[in-house]
Amino acid sequence: MALPSAVSNTGGSDMHRRKPGLLAWLILLPLVAWLLLFVVAPTVMLIVVSFAERDALGRIVYEFNLQNYARAFDWVWLKVMLLSIWYALLTTILCMALGYPVAYFIGRAPERWRTTLLLLVMVPFWTSFLIRTYAWITILSKDGLLNALLVGSGILTEPLALLYTPFAIVLGLVYNFLPFMILPIYTSVEKLDNALIEAAYDLGAGPVRAFSQVIIPLTRPGIAAGAMLVFIPSIAMFAITTLMGGGSNPTIGEVIFKQFTSGRNQPFGAALGTLLLVIFLLALWLTNRQREERN
Amino acid sequence: MKTKTTKTILSAAAAAALAFTATAQAAEKLNIYCWSEYIPQDVIDDFAKETGIKVSVENYASNEEMLAKLGAGGGSFDIIQPSEYVVEALVKEKLLRPLDKKAIPNLKNIGPKFLNMPFDPGNKYSVPFMAGTVGIVVNTELVKEDIKSFSDVFKPANKGKIVVLDDAREIVSWALLSKGIPVNDVSDKNLEKAKGVLSDWIPLIKVYDSDSPKTALLNGDVAIGVVWCGEGAILLNENKKFRWVIPAEGTHLFIDSLAIPKTAKNFANAEKFMNYILQPEVSKKISEAFPYLNPNKEAVKLLTEEQRNNPASFPSKKDLGKMETFKDIGERGSVIEEIVTSLKVE
Repeated sequence: MALPSAVSNTGGSDMHRRKPGLLAWLILLPLVAWLLLFVVAPTVMLIVVSFAERDALGRIVYEFNLQNYARAFDWVWLKVMLLSIWYALLTTILCMALGYPVAYFIGRAPERWRTTLLLLVMVPFWTSFLIRTYAWITILSKDGLLNALLVGSGILTEPLALLYTPFAIVLGLVYNFLPFMILPIYTSVEKLDNALIEAAYDLGAGPVRAFSQVIIPLTRPGIAAGAMLVFIPSIAMFAITTLMGGGSNPTIGEVIFKQFTSGRNQPFGAALGTLLLVIFLLALWLTNRQREERN
Repeated sequence: MKTKTTKTILSAAAAAALAFTATAQAAEKLNIYCWSEYIPQDVIDDFAKETGIKVSVENYASNEEMLAKLGAGGGSFDIIQPSEYVVEALVKEKLLRPLDKKAIPNLKNIGPKFLNMPFDPGNKYSVPFMAGTVGIVVNTELVKEDIKSFSDVFKPANKGKIVVLDDAREIVSWALLSKGIPVNDVSDKNLEKAKGVLSDWIPLIKVYDSDSPKTALLNGDVAIGVVWCGEGAILLNENKKFRWVIPAEGTHLFIDSLAIPKTAKNFANAEKFMNYILQPEVSKKISEAFPYLNPNKEAVKLLTEEQRNNPASFPSKKDLGKMETFKDIGERGSVIEEIVTSLKVE
């Protein structure tokens, strides 16, 4: 999804925009082709298939009908959708709470340290996310490292059931998406003008007021970008939720995945996917509108 | 061996590596489309070395994934590895190529009870690769009651201690069996009954995993599993505390076969491959890596006493007699998927 650029694009520079020339279009061509091929075309296919039917082998039959959507609005699927949105929301809030201080610290650190600190945020993510998720399984399981530590040191007498719970799902999501929150906020914090903060103090603001009325509004573009980058992929994520959640609280990503595989019902999966897309667009539109109002 | 998501990704890398190691005589080719974690890599390597055929392997994680790709006309595969009910559907849709039995003399090594099955009478289109069943694994250190049946597993006392296959058709079939209904009888009335049973069962389940259900059992996160027999066999080898139970209500027998799609170009090489892996020594290697129920009676003779006596790999004749194979249920699959999902979110 080409969402981040749309969000982090700071408005207001429209006045100076010039029409791109031929050369600019040539330079843009690969990107445009990429978007057409891998964003626009699949989306169109998804929407077309969502109005189709399927035969006994699960092959798509192109006969227009609305039954996939009629079924998609059943309470069962809406509940799954709401649960996924809830997990994604929780993940976004936790990522914000954890990521903001880190991003702020890195952004205000002496310049020579910043690259190193950012690198430290990203280093774990050079390992395949599957391997990192399996590592969490080793840590959280009943006979796992954390329980061995807690029971061995006498803090607990009985091991805790941590894995295969909603807690594990949210932990997995927060862990995987945290850098997507830290990086955009960091970019905003780095650009923060110290003079404005000093001015706030000079005008009698305490630390709380300076933070909430000066620092937060100034770094809002970063927060908004981070929120979108975390929220949207967490709704549809299915690998982490299946592996760490044990599949007993299915998320919309898992349900769609199943429709494309064992359910042999790609059109229905496509309809659920299209609904999800509509939710993403709504979320994006809301953030954009909020920003415009502020400007 | 029905859904294997993560391992597919890993084995895709191995498959890519293989494509490079195959011999340079590029004329002869074989494109295999098979389950991940089912045909050992060294068996494929040896075949390539022996015959000089350039083999490329692609993996799928579920029968349905394979069907989707085959139905969409994607890929040009010479050999596929469908389960019994999928063979049935593919034959019905005329998507398979009849086999030239003369090219596969080693078919004689397969035990008679795995030949001439209802899904492919006379084995006109398919050769059995590996069979197996679904059964119960009990960690006897954590569960003291004597578990004999599905109804013993799904008791309120076992809430939060159970791992099952993440496969709606499987789960529904257990509920049907507990009501004495044959697994292929998926009429609305019967599914309604199964739903009643499952509304009590599903809240008790902690983990759904078809990929590697043994992990949750080994880590102590759960104490009872309803899993593929191959997974069960590995657990029994791992630790004596695990016990294997064939459910009293009965269970189903699956037979994964090798077949040639109608569109295959290198069908003669596909038959060569079939014949190759039907050799007892080769089939034994497969059994050692993936201890399922090997239908190759000559290969079974080569296994050790211990391997042959593993009750998960090789169920007794009496139990085997009680087992049914799945039949193709076409569009009903989606209804079954919905029943299980709706109960999970309730």
